[in-house]
Formats: sequence, structure tokens, C-alpha cells
Amino acid sequence: MSGWRVPLTEIAMPEQDVQAVMDCLRSGWLTMGPRTQAFEQALAGYVGAPHAVAVSSGTAALHLALLAAEIGPGDEVIVPAFTFVASAAAVRYTGAEAVLCDVRDARDFNIDAHDAARRITPRTRAIVAVHMGGYPADVQALRTLCDERELLLIEDCAQAIGARVDAHARQAGTVGDLGSFSFFSKKQLCVGEGGMVACGEERLAARVRLLRSHALTSGTWDRHRGHDPAYDVVDIGFNYRLDEPRAALGLSRLQRLDESIASRRRLVRGYRERLAALPGLELPFDEQAVERSSHFAFAVLLTDRAARDRFREHLKEQRIQTTWYPALHSFSEYRASVPAGELPRASAAAERHCMLPLSASMDERAFETVVEAVQGALASS
Amino acid sequence: MATTHTFPELPLFDLQLRPQDLEAVAETLRSGWLTLGPRTAEFEQAFAAQLGARHAVAVSSCTAALHLAYLAAGVGAGDEVIVPAFTFVATAAAAVYCGARPVFAEIVSRARPTLDPEDVERRITPRTKAVCTVHYAGYAAAADRLSELCDAHGIALIEDVAHAPSATLGERKLGTWGLAGAFSFFSNKILSIGEGGLLCTDSDEVAALARSRRSHAMTSGTWQRHRGCTDTYDVTGLGFNYRLDEPRAALALSRLSGLEADIARRRELTMRYRELLAPLQAVIVPFADEDVASSSCYVMPIMIDEDGRQAQLSARLRERGIQTSIFYPAIHRFTAYRERFPDVSLPITELASRTELTLPLFPHMTYADQDRVVAALAQELAHP
Repeated sequence: MSGWRVPLTEIAMPEQDVQAVMDCLRSGWLTMGPRTQAFEQALAGYVGAPHAVAVSSGTAALHLALLAAEIGPGDEVIVPAFTFVASAAAVRYTGAEAVLCDVRDARDFNIDAHDAARRITPRTRAIVAVHMGGYPADVQALRTLCDERELLLIEDCAQAIGARVDAHARQAGTVGDLGSFSFFSKKQLCVGEGGMVACGEERLAARVRLLRSHALTSGTWDRHRGHDPAYDVVDIGFNYRLDEPRAALGLSRLQRLDESIASRRRLVRGYRERLAALPGLELPFDEQAVERSSHFAFAVLLTDRAARDRFREHLKEQRIQTTWYPALHSFSEYRASVPAGELPRASAAAERHCMLPLSASMDERAFETVVEAVQGALASS
Repeated sequence: MATTHTFPELPLFDLQLRPQDLEAVAETLRSGWLTLGPRTAEFEQAFAAQLGARHAVAVSSCTAALHLAYLAAGVGAGDEVIVPAFTFVATAAAAVYCGARPVFAEIVSRARPTLDPEDVERRITPRTKAVCTVHYAGYAAAADRLSELCDAHGIALIEDVAHAPSATLGERKLGTWGLAGAFSFFSNKILSIGEGGLLCTDSDEVAALARSRRSHAMTSGTWQRHRGCTDTYDVTGLGFNYRLDEPRAALALSRLSGLEADIARRRELTMRYRELLAPLQAVIVPFADEDVASSSCYVMPIMIDEDGRQAQLSARLRERGIQTSIFYPAIHRFTAYRERFPDVSLPITELASRTELTLPLFPHMTYADQDRVVAALAQELAHP
């Protein structure tokens, strides 16, 4: 179909997952019912958060997390510049301003707590910590900073479900006041489109639940079960619901998530071993980060943008799909908000990195194909 | 956790999917491609063709479609959008998302509970950017007159077609009268898939904006990159994740083939309801018999002539195992809207909201089910 010998990601869909969706469709109940509740309970258990609320996407999850944190017009929220654009867009939906900050280094391309601290103003209300590629950001440092400066910490775990942020095996999304997650089709736990908010406080979870479904005081499911047909609307809410077939799929796939992350980690270790000594190529992060990451993506660093672009072109000729994340301040929509030369480390990370194919179901042959192509690309440059 | 099943014996709606609908989803899941791919494109083409619109853009919900439609109409901070209050809250909420103020207009009457063009005209100000009309229960509002009115004032007409796929006004399908139409595929809708929606338009610019904003205003998507069309992308605006995924597109495409048959059965049941309800003096049945043939007959609304009996009747019918609903509590009476937009008075809408009762209606409902609903209603009406 695509002509790629090795696509960036592949989704294995065992028959039990298909059947979980079929059972749900046969039931005839498609929204906000028992499967969503079961999925939420299982997710809360998995990440180790008291509350999990399933929503329509990672973007919706972050938007609702910010709203639950009472972020609004006039506020500022600090967001790393090296992330997917939703991290900043969700801040802007609330009427707040997304203040971009730098990452630590191209070799450790998560949010830099020192740079974040520099950007705090009297209007700053929260910091969004993104766990890029599944590698945990330094949330301990950010937690301390946020506590000292009375800010909220929100973890954008769109790429990091199952990542562990410390030696106590605490999971990404549980150190911040709220965590947002994505179940988009390329993610470790994928359902198509979907997401979740995890949080510790019941008050915040209740707020997310309310705003996910138009701030209605009762849902279709409650009314179907014989509750009063009358309802009130108590805020400006959204339709950010997940439906039952996707909840059924997510619940089925969650059973294999740890296994799937372990497969990804094995492949990453294999890549790192085979690519370690190649001239012109650097590997970001260290062994501890690899151990803790949930490995959404595998990044390598080239010397500069030109070398990276040549590298990608070479792999494309070999029909190997790669990708990269532009820094937010390189987009037309965000360029004007950041002076030229600002955020140099985020720019370097964006311009130097390349994401290689990585999927839980990637086989030995695909892996070898990529490794050989990478070796060939560097030898020819 | 709420797992105790106290289902009403006769629900308001009930969904039965066909084996081919399930198979379409299963095939999509097995393909391993789950987002914005060939099935979404195929569904959009099929829907546009059936509707007679140039463009169809599948999105995550009707709320999302309305938001994108208002943005496409240029609705922004400080603007006004005229909407009915006798509708689901999303019609107004989507205007608030844009920073605009929803201005609520009156319905014609309880017998014709759709937007009154004369009241709309009175509420047009220099700040009005759009009018959104709802085709309540699947019956056409005066889209022709509203279209002329909007043209005369240089403002956009948006149609909230959540209830009315394949319904018509004259020779034209609803959703094609204005700048854009917003459809719903929510689980209790006629073309239900779980969560989903669609924006239709004849305007290339509106379609381009909707496509861009539904996926974060990125200049290329995962599918294009997968196909090797492009390597990278720019972000050219403030976009959203309003994408529909492939399994839902496959389900929608499969169900689209059964839409006309489904609506035909709904019309038949609606005509029969109207005959059964005609002798009940205490009941106003909205719309006329001759409207049924062009309606999609999404739900079966009735108005209890006497004010103050809605909650009691609903409770009594529930005790008899019959689920009813209220389509709709008036938006301007909700706490969130009273706080933000106070002092709105719409007497006809308010009376309709206080006296409306929605009766069960779904394609595999039997005549016996209908007889039971109407008999129960007649008995309860006779015993206050």
C-alpha cells in the first residue's frame, strides 16, 4: 500500500481485540457506558492514579486538565518548545498564553526546569512537562519548582504511558497535579483516537468528567438506566467523550501494554548497541532513561540539520520511513512569538534528530534492514 | 460502579447493527490503519454524494462540526450568533468556544418548534456573524427564508443537521441551504456510530479550513506522510484534534447504505403514531402529516397541552416501563447560560420545554410497542 519496506509504526491487532469491539457493537450501547467505566478503572490501576477519565484525544485530555486546573484568559502556562503542537494549542484554547521554554539539551530533549524557572512571571499558573518520545522529564525538579512558586504541574504523557519517572517506579502522569495521555493510533496503547486524564484529587476528576460531556448534570447512560430525564448545564463544556467501542478496544489492548513496552525497549537496546559507535551519529539519553522510558519513538541525532536531512533522504531511498518533530517556534503559527535565536537547544534537538521505525511487533528482519540502512547512510556521507 | 442494569423495558431508542456493519469495523481493525485514511475519505465522498454537497469533512462530533462551521463563518470574539434555545446545548456552546455570544431566538410555535425567521430578523445587529438553524427532530426549519434573510444581511447561515440526515426542504437536502451543515453520528442518532460528526459545505474555502483545523492546522497528515507524499509539515493556525478514526468511518460508511430504509421505517412509525395520537385532545403533535415524508423522523416529540404535567407523566410512564425524554430543556434557562447571558425571555420556547415529551422511536419498534406507549399515555393523561 505505502511502498515502505519498513514503516515508522505498525499496529498488530490480535483477534481478541477485534472480538472485544464486536461484542461491544453487538450490545447496541455505544457511548459512556460500562466499558468506558471498566477501561477507566483499569487505567487508573495501571498508572497508579486514584482517578482516570477517558476522553476523545490527548489534546482533549490536556485541554480538560488545564480547565480543571482553572487556567484561563490572562494566565501564562510554560510549555517546552520541543513537543507536538497540541501541548501549546491546548493552553491557547483556555484563553491563556503558552510561553515556550527550552529543553535541557539535544541529547536530553525534555523540558529544562532552570529555563522554565527563568520564564515564570506573576501571571504564570502552571508548567506542562512533556515526556518526549516516552522518556521521562525531570518531574522531581519541576515538582519542587512548582511547589516553591505555587504553580500547578501538568504532565503531558501523550507519548509516555507506562514510563517511570523515578527509582520508586512512579509512573508518568502521577507526579503532576494532572496527567494527560493519548491513545492515538501510533501510540503504545492505541485505539484510533482517544485519550485520558489521570489525577489524584477527586475534585479535579469530577471537573474533567463534567466538562468532557457539555457540563450536563446527567448523562445518556444515567437517563437510560431510569434516572430523571431532566438535567442542568452548569458550565461551558465540550464533547470530549470516548465511545464504548474504543473503550472496549483500549481495555483489551491494555492487557498487553507492559509486554508491548518491553518489546519496544528490547528493540531500542538493540538499536543502541548496533548504532553506538557510528561516526556522525549520537544517541540521546542514557541507560537509566532507556530503562524508565516507555519508548514511543526512537531518536538518533545527526551533527546538524543538513546532515539529518541527507540521512533521512538516504533512508527514504531505502524505503524506510522516518519522521521528526519541528520545534514549535519554527511553525508559522508560533514563529512571531519567539525572538530569533531563542530556545537554541530545542531548535538543535528538532533540527538534529530523526525518529527511526519502532513498533512492538517489529521483527528481526525489519530491524536489520533499518540498522544496515543507517550504517550505509553514514558510510556514504 | 454502576453496573446494575435497570433498563426500561421500552427504551427511547435502541440500536441494532447488521452483521455487515460489524464486519466493516472488524476488517478496518485488522488492516492496522486506524486514523484518517482511505475509509474516512471513502465515507466523506459517499456522504457528500448522497447529500448533494461538494464537500464532506468527517469530524469527531457534531459539536466539533459546529465549532468549525462557526470559525469558517468568521465568528470570533465579540461577535453574535443567533441560535434557537430549543435545541441541544452544543448549538450555543460552539459559539461560546469562538468567543462569541449566542443570541437566542424564538421558535414559531409548539406545533412548529423550529426557528422563527421573523424573530431572527429582529435580533440581527451589526455584530451578528451567523444564524444557526436546527432542523428539530428531523423536520425542516424555514431554511429557505432564513437563507434569503442571511443573504440580505450578509451573514452566514449554518444548519445544525444533527437530527436530519437525508431530510429535505423542497428539492434540497437539509444541510445544503447555508454556508455549512453540521451532522451528528452520536449513538442515539439515526446514523449512529458512537461518537462522530461531519461538516458539509459547497465552499472550497470552508472545506479547506475545516480539514486544516480538524487536525491541528497541520499542512500534512500522518496518512500523507505514510504514503510518502511529504516529509514534514507546518502549523498554520490554531487547530484541534477533531478527527474521526477509521473504524468509525468504516461503520458510518456501512450504515449509510441502510440509511434510507431506516428513515422509511421511521416515517411509517411516525405516521402511525400520529394516527394513534390524533384522538388525544390533551396532546399537541408538532408538525403536520404532510411534513413526515420529507423528515428524517429522528424522534417522536409531543407537547402536553396543559402546563405542569411533564415530570409527572414522564415518571408515570417510566413506572410502566416506557422511557421518555425531554427534547429539549431551553438553553437560556440552564445555570451556565443564565449566569453568562441573563435576562433572556422566550415564552414559546419555555412553554415548549416545560410541556414536551419525547416518545420511544426506533426502526425495529413494533406496532404493539406503539400501541402500548399511546395507551399508557392516554390513561395517564386521563388521571391527573
